[in-house]
Amino acid sequence: MHDKEKQLVQSYMNGNISRRGMLRGLASMGVTAATASVLVNAAATEALAQNGFDWKKHSGTTVKLLLNQHPYADAMIANLENFKALTGMDVVYDIFPEDVYFDKVTAALSSGSSEYDAFMTGAYMTWTYGPAGWIDDMNEYINDPAKTNPDYDWEDMLEGVRNSCAWNGQPGGALGSDDAKQWCIPWGYEQNNLSYNGRMFKEAGLSVPKNIDELVATAAEAKAKIDGTYGIGVRGSRSWATIHPGFLSGYANFGEKDLNLASDGKLSAAMNTDTSRMFHEKWVQMIQESGAPDWSTHTWYQAGTDLGAGKSAMIFDADILGYFMNGGDNAEAGNLEFAPFAANPDAAAPTPNIWIWSLAMASAGKQKDATWYFLQWASGPEHGLFGATQMDFVNPVRKSVWADAGFRERLDSSYPGYVDMHDLSAPGAKIHFTAQPLFFDLTTEWAAMLQKMVAKEVPVDEGLGQLEDSVNRQLKEAGLG
Amino acid sequence: MHKASVLERTLRGIALTLVIFFFMFPIFWIFLMSFQTNETILRVPPSMIFEPTLTNYRSLISGTLEGSTATLEIRFMSNLYNSLFLSVTSVTVGLLLGVPAAYAFAKLKFRGSEDIAFTLLSFRFAPPLLVLLPLTIYFQKIGLADTYLGLIWVYQLIVLPLILWIVRGYFEDIPSDIEYAHRIAGHGFWSTFTKIALPLAGPGIAAAGLLAFIFAWNNFIFALVLASADKQPVTVGALAFITASGINYGQIAAGIMLSIAPTFALALYAQRYLVEGLSLGAVKG
Repeated sequence: MHDKEKQLVQSYMNGNISRRGMLRGLASMGVTAATASVLVNAAATEALAQNGFDWKKHSGTTVKLLLNQHPYADAMIANLENFKALTGMDVVYDIFPEDVYFDKVTAALSSGSSEYDAFMTGAYMTWTYGPAGWIDDMNEYINDPAKTNPDYDWEDMLEGVRNSCAWNGQPGGALGSDDAKQWCIPWGYEQNNLSYNGRMFKEAGLSVPKNIDELVATAAEAKAKIDGTYGIGVRGSRSWATIHPGFLSGYANFGEKDLNLASDGKLSAAMNTDTSRMFHEKWVQMIQESGAPDWSTHTWYQAGTDLGAGKSAMIFDADILGYFMNGGDNAEAGNLEFAPFAANPDAAAPTPNIWIWSLAMASAGKQKDATWYFLQWASGPEHGLFGATQMDFVNPVRKSVWADAGFRERLDSSYPGYVDMHDLSAPGAKIHFTAQPLFFDLTTEWAAMLQKMVAKEVPVDEGLGQLEDSVNRQLKEAGLG
Repeated sequence: MHKASVLERTLRGIALTLVIFFFMFPIFWIFLMSFQTNETILRVPPSMIFEPTLTNYRSLISGTLEGSTATLEIRFMSNLYNSLFLSVTSVTVGLLLGVPAAYAFAKLKFRGSEDIAFTLLSFRFAPPLLVLLPLTIYFQKIGLADTYLGLIWVYQLIVLPLILWIVRGYFEDIPSDIEYAHRIAGHGFWSTFTKIALPLAGPGIAAAGLLAFIFAWNNFIFALVLASADKQPVTVGALAFITASGINYGQIAAGIMLSIAPTFALALYAQRYLVEGLSLGAVKG
């Protein structure tokens, strides 16, 4: 970095000039915005090196990562040189497409392979990996001041997100309880809310729905008024992933649960209640009237692609899915807007269920302290801010990043409603499922039952009864019920 | 000789056109998609009129994809090379091992030959994942994990039974009298195998090799579990275009066109052997 550029970046770091002023100054020196952000992060990393922590302790060590092909991984790779300069460590990685990623992770972990030191995972997956002894409890690193740099600031992580990655291993045990093990470190996360096509809504004179009844009505109206478009995109494939986004977020907003935990620790199905029946009926009606014609095949990809291509008027799904579809070469890029959604008209705020891309440490790894150096850097505030402001490392899991004016300004200008949606939803955002080892089996069966209800193969009340019986039987067979 | 009437020829022509259209249209549509951007591919209603672009092929061949916030690395050509290398090498090894073995099973009846042949065939019955986890552990212990050698070895689970059982049928169809005549003329066992049996079973061996190549090319679970990202075949690499931030249909289409090219060319070249070989092998005298 030349002296003049360095001085300018340092002035910004010291708070003497605004970000815009710094970028303008760097631009006049022929520095592009992308290079400027790397320079800023390099300065932040230099500052990190001065905090008294021995960052060079594992210099010369190589850490190997298993990564999912994802914008979060891209953001990390773009900033990786700064980590190498800070620590003198090397980082190599294998990236696999998401479609096969978890097969690769499961094979690597279950075979006891020491090839990968750390890997990306979802919090749900740790309910299998943790009790199996495949991953380490991160508390022993986070709470050790000799291993964790003083600026890491674990408490800066959003509480609901942080707790959602911690479980005591007891079926039905509350996430984030005092005896919970921190199976993974949150990296980036998704809330489930409304992403809608602002252009279409304006042209058709539609208003943003505020509860489940309005959602059903608005979706039907959108389908009727907008040619070649269906009203609402929600997932429908026979998979656990159909239940966890919009469906469970709306369901939980009525105070409903997936499973009951009795005082003797036994679990039982909780979805056959009057309120649950009412919610299921409305959800099924919404899909029948205004969902995608091929709803039962819809996954993340179809729900997102249709919104981006203008084939659907809105989605009740991950906020970052709408975020991604508002860019790139999507036909509706720039037209999408965002809104918080509380399905229950009596609820004070939304209660989105969340998906958390996290980082976990393989128990079979041979260089755990060095791996923790990488993990604390990758999940630290400096990299979080870099990724959120310069790349698509959204949604950040740190409060400090959400408080950053530059980040909020960026989101506000290009993603209308996103910041407000997040702020309103974050307090109620967490994993609303009951942590237990049959999670994937039971939620997949729930999705299969939804398919039958939508296809009118079984009435909702009868379907819920069948689902309850089946869930209870499986829990009993597994010794959990 | 029966001469087809005009009506008969016309009907036959229409029928052939319909069949060709039915089978070739998906490939033709993917070919068109490979020259379009996502925006034109996803427009409603779909249209065949568009401004063609070579961006998709350029991204795949150059290995970089320009995203909205970053330039991403694409390993598609390396995946293609891996597929080609793994398939060709595995089939070559499979032919070298399988053809002599098939001859032995066909011509040299020995105790337990049927059991051994069936055991080899049973490798095809086992679900790959059932075999792969124990294999991963063994491979790590003996240093074969994440090596091309290890993968080629495991690929024999796909190609060897196929080659052995198809080629065995051919050798059984060759009348032993021809081989005896050659032996009586003073030639040895090896000469009989190479000069008589191999040429007569040629179409069958070609068909078996081609089929084994297609099966090896289409496999993805073995490399996925046993190797790291730099050794993945095109079947895994093609999934890289389905990303959290969207499906890159244009690149998927271009990837399909590039990845079917070797098998398509091979099948076109060898289709005579394939049809002849498979049909002859299926009929036992």
